[in-house]
Formats: sequence, structure tokens, C-alpha cells
Amino acid sequence: MGTEKSFCPSDEEIEKWMSSAFDMARDALQNGEVPVGCLLVYNHEVVGRGRNEVNETKNATRHAEMVALDQLQDWCRRSNLDVSGVCERTALYVTVEPCIMCAAALRLFKLPVVVFGCRNDRFGGCGSVLDISSAVLPQTGNTFKCVSGHRAEEAVDMLKTFYKQENPNAPKPKTRKE
Amino acid sequence: MEPQRKRWKGSTYGSECGSDSWTVYPVLSDEQSQDVELVEAFAAPVVNKKETSRLLRELSSLYPMSGLQHIKRVRAVKGSPQPLEVLLCLVSDAPHMEILSIDSLLPSGVKNDAFGEPFRVKIPARPPLTRPQFEQAGKHWPTSFHEDKQLTVALRGELFSAPQKARMHAYMMSAVTAAKAGSELGMEAVGAVVVDPSTEKVIAVGHDSRGDHPLHHAVMVCIDLVARSQGSGCYSFDQYATCTFTPPASDTSQSAPSSLPYICTGYDLYVTREPCVMCAMALVHSRIGRVFYGTACADGALGSKYKIHSQKDLNHHFEVYRGVLEKQCEDLTSQEGFQRRVDY
Repeated sequence: MGTEKSFCPSDEEIEKWMSSAFDMARDALQNGEVPVGCLLVYNHEVVGRGRNEVNETKNATRHAEMVALDQLQDWCRRSNLDVSGVCERTALYVTVEPCIMCAAALRLFKLPVVVFGCRNDRFGGCGSVLDISSAVLPQTGNTFKCVSGHRAEEAVDMLKTFYKQENPNAPKPKTRKE
Repeated sequence: MEPQRKRWKGSTYGSECGSDSWTVYPVLSDEQSQDVELVEAFAAPVVNKKETSRLLRELSSLYPMSGLQHIKRVRAVKGSPQPLEVLLCLVSDAPHMEILSIDSLLPSGVKNDAFGEPFRVKIPARPPLTRPQFEQAGKHWPTSFHEDKQLTVALRGELFSAPQKARMHAYMMSAVTAAKAGSELGMEAVGAVVVDPSTEKVIAVGHDSRGDHPLHHAVMVCIDLVARSQGSGCYSFDQYATCTFTPPASDTSQSAPSSLPYICTGYDLYVTREPCVMCAMALVHSRIGRVFYGTACADGALGSKYKIHSQKDLNHHFEVYRGVLEKQCEDLTSQEGFQRRVDY
């Protein structure tokens, strides 16, 4: 947990960075990926950005957050900064509530705060399916704070648009008995 | 680059550490593993046995006890002058009464002198899903049970045949070897192996690499190695001799093109330690077929802290088994085990 409890993005910051996160999500949609986009911001600087790239990599864990965390790691290496020191003062801005996997990953990186758009009823790890963000998991990093609801409807609409199209990479479902 | 293929030593393990030295148990959902939930009801002995079926008809129209179809309305009591007892109704459905009596429970129409003294009894609120639940439920009141025979065998730890266990042993041995290799590089001693059970072929072997990256747990490493086996992926673990995958080119046999692998669909994962939340959910996203782990861990998400493989609302569920090579896997995690390895 951050040492200064005041570490929380302002409305202007949320407005600004979420707008970029939505651009990333739109890019995902145009590339046939689940439209989720995110930014990691440290000290008013973007140190990681990502959008879903599961189909591209055939790796189902390549969610926007995971891509951005890799970039943060590289950025710290290049800047010769300690990852945990940077993470302590980094916020994640993401269009959709992080899934259970990503929520655990964010804990492991010890990020203090996550700003997200809409809830994720299918996989959400910040309260929708499970609450990993605040659970007592002593071996899984730190809990983090969530600020939710910014441009939620827009984020949902993008997801709906995506799920209306069929995922061309998924195998054809066998005829199922309903 | 030329990734190494896994070589098998075959089943040359001594009997003291062979595949009969461990037992594999299924990790069930909460519904399947919880204690029997009880609900209170009124019951009474039947005075004249011959009237039982008529009384049951009348009772079931008076008190249908809906939602409790698994409950048998009658039970036999051994060595009693009145050998049958029937359930009258749930306590919650009974009319308000000062003193418990048949007259206040059964309004006119039912022959009240057909019953003995009513009494309170606790009955199972839900249908039993496993044999242990069925047996526990039966101690309170008899229920019906649609037995899943395979589950019963699995709960006895006897689901897998000796040849199957020998193969599982070899796969987990390979994960243990990978864990040790990782640990020698300063990583956490966790190893994992992905197998295609339809061909019995090892697709990927990986070990923890969180010294490089906090998220490169053994399972995450293996998931990316599987992606690489399918011609994609996003990391390179080539610097680790023990992190390998079966190159895709080597498997273009007669199999139909439609059966191209899709992420981890249909694959089995063997991992020395119970996966954490991140890894467990990564396996859901990857559509893993089954997971076998050696030893549990405190924050584990496939049995200990969560049961993500059976989590409601998620779109993919899978079977989980624990206990494969348990001792060897436990030794990896305990400091003591580490010390022992160093001393040898």
C-alpha cells in the first residue's frame, strides 16, 4: 500500500488518461481483439500501455494489463529505476475492470490504484466475479484501490460490438445440447 | 534455435518412490465437498403400517415439501414397535402452535389417530452430490442419491490405473526436474509440464522465472511455451535449457487440419505446486483440460483459497487433482527439502 494515502488520480488526470486508454481499446477492436485498452502512468508519464493481443500471440493471458506491465518492466530497466519503487507511485487506467488474472498480476506488481470504466461480469477480479483487489492473500502482493465507472457505457458498448462478431480464432463450437 | 525434446527415462523408479507411493484425489467444488446442510422438520411414527401409502398420498397433497425431492418421506426404524416413520412437514411450513401435537399439524380430513407422537428431526436440505455426502445425509434422514460412480472412485483415490499413474509419475517427475533446474538459477522451485493426453506427448516444460519478471511463474511460462509450440507466443525462454516446447512442425501427421490446437484446449497441466490466483485464471483463459498438482499452497486458487476451476459465472471449468508425487513436490517448497538437495 502506498505510503501517502493521498495518492489518488485527480478528475482531470482520469479524464485525460482514460481517453488514451479508450484509443487503445479501439485499436484492439480494429484488430479483432477484445476491446480493452490501458495505460500505466507514473509521475505524469506513460510508462506502459497495452491492448488485448490474445489472438495475435495465441497466448490467452495477453490482456491489455499484462502487455502494459511488461512495458513498465522494460521502462524501469531502461531508466535504471527500481520496479517496486516506480509501481508504488503508478496508477493503471483501463477501460474495463481487470479480470481475476490481471487483478492478481497487479497485486504482484504492488500497484496501489486502478481506475476502470465498466464492470466485467464475465471475468472481473475487482468485485464482479471475485474480489481479488482487496482479498487477504499474503503471498500475492498488495491489495489495491479501485475507482470505477468512468465512461462505463462506452466501454460496455465496445465489448458488445466485439462479442456480436464471432471470434474467428475460436474453434467452431460442437453442437451442444442446451 | 532448436528446442530440445523431452527425453523419458521410462518407469525405472524404485518402488519406494514409484507411482504407488502417492495417491491422487480430485479437488471438488464447494457444493461437492461441503458438509450436509440441514433443515428442521416434523415427523411421526405410523401406527398401522398398512395405512402408509394412503397417509403418504394425503400428506403430500397437504404438505408437498417442494424443493426437497431428494428426501424420502418414510424411513424404517429398526427394533421399534412402530417400524415406520413419516415426515409430516417442514417446521417452517407448520402452522403456529403452542404445544406440538398431531391435531395442530394435521387439519381435519387426515386420520389423526393413524400417527404416533410427532417429533422434530433435522433433514438434509440439498441432494447429496457425493457418496460421503450421501452417507452423512443418511445419518439424519434417508435421501435418494444419483451416484456419479466415477466421482466415488476418484474420491477413494482409485480413479487412475497403474499404467496411467506411471505416466502421470513421469510427467510430474519432469516438472520436479524443471523446478530444481529453476531453483539452481535462483528462481522459486516450481516446475510445470503441459501434455496432450490424446497423443501422450509433452508439449511444454517450464520452470518459475520470476527472477526476470515477477509474473513469470511456471504456469505462465508454460502457457507461453504452448503458444510458441503453435507458432506464436511472446517471450523467449531459450536461455533456460529446461524450458522447452515441442516444435509445431514435428506434429503434422495425418490429423485433420480442423483439429489444429487452440491455446491449451484439451491439454493436461502437471505443476509441482498449486497455482496462484493469476496462474489459475490464466488456465481458465487458456481452456486447459485438467490440472494435476503435487502440493497445496496457502494462497492457492485451485482448492486452498479459491476453487477457480469450479467458480460459478466463469465460462470454462476443468477438473483438478492433487497429490501427484506429493512428497517430492513438498520437498521442493520446504526449506528443509532445499537444504537436503544442497547437501547431496
